[in-house]
Amino acid sequence: MKKNLLLPHSFRLVGWLLFIPAVLLGLANMYAEYKPAFLGDFTDETAALGVIVGLLFVAFAREKVEDEMIRQLRLESLQWSVYINYVLLAIAVVLLYDTAFFNVMIYNMFTILLVFIGRFAWLLYKLQRREETFV
Amino acid sequence: MKNRIKIARAENDLSQADLADRIGVSRQTINSIETGRYVPSTVLALKMARTFNKALEELFQLEDTD
Repeated sequence: MKKNLLLPHSFRLVGWLLFIPAVLLGLANMYAEYKPAFLGDFTDETAALGVIVGLLFVAFAREKVEDEMIRQLRLESLQWSVYINYVLLAIAVVLLYDTAFFNVMIYNMFTILLVFIGRFAWLLYKLQRREETFV
Repeated sequence: MKNRIKIARAENDLSQADLADRIGVSRQTINSIETGRYVPSTVLALKMARTFNKALEELFQLEDTD
C-alpha cells in the first residue's frame, strides 16, 4: 500500500492537549496582554507554535482505519478548507483596514487547519450516522 | 457503476465488518461502496473479487451514465 504522510492515531489527543492551552494563552495575550512570568516576551511565540503544532497533530493524525475512502475525504476536506480560507481572506481584504486587517491575518494563519479539521470531522460524522440508519 | 457486493456477501455469509477486515478497510467504506456512494480503487475492487472468488465484472458493472 502507498505510504501516506500521516501521524499515529494517538497524536490526535496530544494535538488537542497542545492546542487548547495554547489557544487560551494566545487569546489572553492578544486581548488582555496576559504574559505569564516564565514566558515573558515569548508568550505570543509559545502560543502560536502551540496552536500550529497542536492543529497539525489533530489534522494529520491517522484515523483508526485509514483506508482509501478516508484518504479521499481528507483530500476533499483540504481542498474545501483552502477555498474557504481564501474566500474569507478576500472578504477581509475588501472590508477591513489597519489593525482589524492585521487581526484577521493572525487568525488566517490558522483557518486552513481549523476549517479542514471541522470539515473532515463533519464528513466522518455524516458517514457514521448514515451507516447507522442503513444497516 | 452498479455492484453486487451485498449479494456476494450474503452468498458467502459475510457481514460488512467481516469483509472490511479481510480487505483492510473500514466498515463504512464497504457500506459506501455497496450503496454506490464510493467507487473503490482497482486494487480494492480486485481484493473484493479475490475474497469472493469471482471475476471483477461479476461484482462491478458499468452503467449507461458512467
